[in-house]
Amino acid sequence: MSPAGSRPGGSRPGGSRPGGFRSAGLGAAPWALAAAMFTAIMGAALSINGVLLGWGWLANAGATVAVVLASMAAGRSLRLPAVLVPVLGLVVLGLSLVFQFFADTAYLGIIPSGRTLASLKPLLRETSDLIVGGAVPLPVDPGLLLLCCAGLGLLAILMDLLAVSLALPAISGVALLGVLFIPALFKPDSVGPAGFAGAAAGYLLVLGCCQWYAPHGVLRAAGSAAPASQLRRAVGLGAAAVAALLIVPAVIPGFSSGLFPQGAKLSAWGTVSGLNPLITLGNDLRNPTGGGQLFYATDSFSPLYLRSSTLEDFSGSTWAPDPRDDTRRLGPVRMTNRFDSAPGVPTLTTTTQIDSPDFSSPWLPLPYAPESVLGLSGRWTWDPATMTVKALDTTTLGQNYTAISTMPQISRELLSTIATPPRPTLDPIFLATPADTPPVIEETALAITGTAPTPYDKAMALQDYLRSPAFTYSELTPLREGYDGSGLDVVAKFLEVKSGYCVHFSAAMALMAREAGIPSRIAVGYAPGTPTGKQVMVDGVALNQYVVDGHNAHAWPELYFEGLGWVPFEPTPSRGSVPPYAQPIAAPGTGPLNPDDSLNPGAALPSTATASPSAPAGPGTGAGGGTVDLWSSAGAVLGGLAGLALLASPWMWRRTIRRRRLAAIRPGAGAGGSAGALAWRELVDTAVDYGFRIDPSDTPRTMAARLLASPVLAAASGSAGGGSSSHGGAGSRAPAESPATAATAVATLLAACESAQYGPPSEDAPAGLEPALAAVRAGCARRASLPVRLRAALLPPSLFSRTRLRLPRLPRPTARQRP
Amino acid sequence: MEPHDSTVLKAGLQAAVGSTGVGSAGAPATASSMTRERLGQLSGRILDSINTVIDGKADAARLALTVLLAQGHLLVEDVPGVGKTMLAKTLARTIECSVSRIQFTPDLLPSDVTGVSMYNQATGSFQFRPGAVFANIVIGDEINRASAKTQSALLECMEEHQVTVDGSTHHLGEPFMVVATQNPIEMEGTYPLPEAQRDRFMARISMGYPDAAAELAMLSTHQSTSPLEAVVPVATAAEVAAMIATVQSTYVSSAVKEYTVALGRATRESRHLRLGASPRALLSLLRAAKAHATLQGRDFVLPDDVRTLVGPVLGHRIIVDRRAAAAGATAASVLAEVVASLPVAPDAGRR
Repeated sequence: MSPAGSRPGGSRPGGSRPGGFRSAGLGAAPWALAAAMFTAIMGAALSINGVLLGWGWLANAGATVAVVLASMAAGRSLRLPAVLVPVLGLVVLGLSLVFQFFADTAYLGIIPSGRTLASLKPLLRETSDLIVGGAVPLPVDPGLLLLCCAGLGLLAILMDLLAVSLALPAISGVALLGVLFIPALFKPDSVGPAGFAGAAAGYLLVLGCCQWYAPHGVLRAAGSAAPASQLRRAVGLGAAAVAALLIVPAVIPGFSSGLFPQGAKLSAWGTVSGLNPLITLGNDLRNPTGGGQLFYATDSFSPLYLRSSTLEDFSGSTWAPDPRDDTRRLGPVRMTNRFDSAPGVPTLTTTTQIDSPDFSSPWLPLPYAPESVLGLSGRWTWDPATMTVKALDTTTLGQNYTAISTMPQISRELLSTIATPPRPTLDPIFLATPADTPPVIEETALAITGTAPTPYDKAMALQDYLRSPAFTYSELTPLREGYDGSGLDVVAKFLEVKSGYCVHFSAAMALMAREAGIPSRIAVGYAPGTPTGKQVMVDGVALNQYVVDGHNAHAWPELYFEGLGWVPFEPTPSRGSVPPYAQPIAAPGTGPLNPDDSLNPGAALPSTATASPSAPAGPGTGAGGGTVDLWSSAGAVLGGLAGLALLASPWMWRRTIRRRRLAAIRPGAGAGGSAGALAWRELVDTAVDYGFRIDPSDTPRTMAARLLASPVLAAASGSAGGGSSSHGGAGSRAPAESPATAATAVATLLAACESAQYGPPSEDAPAGLEPALAAVRAGCARRASLPVRLRAALLPPSLFSRTRLRLPRLPRPTARQRP
Repeated sequence: MEPHDSTVLKAGLQAAVGSTGVGSAGAPATASSMTRERLGQLSGRILDSINTVIDGKADAARLALTVLLAQGHLLVEDVPGVGKTMLAKTLARTIECSVSRIQFTPDLLPSDVTGVSMYNQATGSFQFRPGAVFANIVIGDEINRASAKTQSALLECMEEHQVTVDGSTHHLGEPFMVVATQNPIEMEGTYPLPEAQRDRFMARISMGYPDAAAELAMLSTHQSTSPLEAVVPVATAAEVAAMIATVQSTYVSSAVKEYTVALGRATRESRHLRLGASPRALLSLLRAAKAHATLQGRDFVLPDDVRTLVGPVLGHRIIVDRRAAAAGATAASVLAEVVASLPVAPDAGRR
């Protein structure tokens, strides 16, 4: 692979000796290698786009890596001791980071001072919060940028250390894996074509350059420059492999089921939902295995939503539930909510028993609005404002508890009478819209709610808008379009694309409600589950049991109506169940649903039927599912055909070669004297196909002897003289009637080959070659086991080791031993 | 690795081989040669005769005959008493030709070997009196006991096939072969042959002790009379000359020549050798390979012939690096390693 003849510095007389190298000029080699490594690291880093938002990080990262690699290359050019070069790289990395991020607090702009360290700490804390709590793509903030640059710089040093100092260029790919690791884990489309192509090309470049510039001559083959054709072939092969790896995954259909389907992300927390359920919500929905089951038995007649946490603070780039630890109270046994409802409103009390065998979260799933939770172990707290229950020192794992909840019996009429503004004692957080709210949200909200007279009408207008056919439910579109997760920008993008899942619908409705003057928050939890068919006895009453899992993970908006409290809505089409008071008024003929006996809203609700015609809620049934199916099935067929062709092609290729040779050695085919050599080639290939190992130092004669002694063609006991055939005249061994026909056949072929290759020129084609070859093949097949026979037929090894037969005639360097 | 080096060497080898009559490969053998069947019979008879005298040393006998037919000289090296001289004498006796034997001693003079001009009082002129070297087969016994001066006198004859005394040149007869025996150089009273002189011998063989069965047979047959007495010549000098001509007409393909050159270069590039094979060594190797192929009944040379003879032909010419020798490497082991790592290049498309 070494670029032949391009080595600067001219001749190298006998300089391949380890000692001789240091005195010779290094020339441009370290710089070329540094450039190759820069290409590799930055090529791999292209995949970080998507983990970080935009390309803002690229300039800083590139500068850092370039400075580090250049300093190390300079160190090598100046013949610094090998140990000091990585140290130099580390120092330069540190200085460059200080210069880029803390120039104002550092001496001379690069030497860190005490104030630098002091400002580093909060930055890192902030960043770690962002990483733990955020969903990709993360916005580029200084802390993240610092981390990115430092990581890439360290990996560059690692790569240089492995490739040059330790002379293990192949291992240096570990550094590239280090770069690719992050996007592979966190990006929905994994590394992506650009990052993969960049990393692969850079890695091959590094390998090539390392072959050229080996620091101590360890890798250098003595004085042998590879021919240009080999270089061309290597480049072609590498390019083809990279291209194939880029194209094949795009053509073949992805995995939509299984343990780790396309679009699923490896969650370090397993099925556990962390402090921020929003992060894992999308994954839970897409995860086909569900995971994290919850069983509940309830006496409620309406579909029951389980609420675990709420989201009310819409500032910041990614949203997370506010723990509100300062207002929380201990012990949710008696929760005084009273949800500020007017005294005249009738209420409905519901008893629900919840069993959480394998779902773990600090937030307790409860029906709204909980009054009392019994049977919990561990210490739990509750928040009067949000009515969420959160663990202090435990999780929901293994809990079995009973919740008493009370809700006013809300009706459409009741809601439409409410026109009073929310009372001022309500926490202002529920009305706050961040200053950087994208204008599209406000514009949309005003356009929809403009003419509605009451808050209820406004809310219904918003819900109807989101449930209109313009919007489609899709768990995958946000992934593809890059707005998976939560945040103001995500909502703006959602309103533009009009496709998403519950997080987007609920966030859009909550935000637009605030724009319209209605306090709102997002509840995160579970949509109503499916009946298990079992009944559970609670306090002597048999209750129907239901189960929910990751597929039922849901988010919905709760809007505040003075006098009624927090009222849930359902803007997400095809998910959950629309409460009676939120049914669209203009639905002639359907009337208010009786939700008692139907927990399958998709089939029951005409308004949702328009948005999502038939599909029960499930992954992969978003918009355009039909076309996707068509394409993927066509792709599968094509892929299958291509796979079959690929499988059969070695067989056909080998067959073609054999037939061509057999035709050539037939008497009268014009091959003349060289027929023997051709036949011998076929014999060697046949032997290789059946597992014989070629030794390039074999003469035809020794090879024949080895072949007859090897298990591939072990001679029958009568002709154990396979070894002795290396003596005695070749001409004297005519085809005989010996029982070991294979041995005789080999002898015939050997005689023909020797006289063709080494004998005086002659035009007489030897006879009997074709039957001899057939006899050898039959002999090999008879002795081989079934797997070996299959391999010989489908994947003939001779096709892949053909280069070994064309070894250079000049001596290769003898095994070089280190002194 | 300068490319012209290899081509020059190859061309030289080709020219050298050509000069011995092989260049016209495939052409009808010259008038003095014989058919290969006849050669096979003769060589079989010669080897049989030798084997009746020397028990269990068929390989050594075959190699000696190979060297004779390749017009080389043979160096037999081993400890005393294993039949070195006996082998040389038997080979000489099976052929009907003049044989002389020189026992080398420290006080042997060059003129004892080459001959001397003496004043003939009857004619009043100097007359050349041939030395022991004027014979078809010269047995130089314990050659390393003589002084370097005497050794080189013999070695000059071996190379030039002629003797020059007092300005006049006297040609030696054909065939001419020197079979020299020597004791290992560690033995007392020996003058080791310098590298340059060892290079003149085509092959060196080591007799080695016979195996138990052969030794038992020897004890029973050699008790009273020496079986050497019973050996009668089975070939004339003219027949041997014809055999030599046949050997010269054996075909050498360019593949084999290239393999030989590659082998030589590999010995020169080996890290374990201080001195590799010389061009003369390669020439000897190829000539010996031709004789070997002919004795096998073939009219062309195989790489196998070359490989068989690498040990005897190159073993005494190369010098093992001191460090490798300290690590236990011997000339034979290094050569085996070189051969094992050298690809044979079975390129079918060449012809």
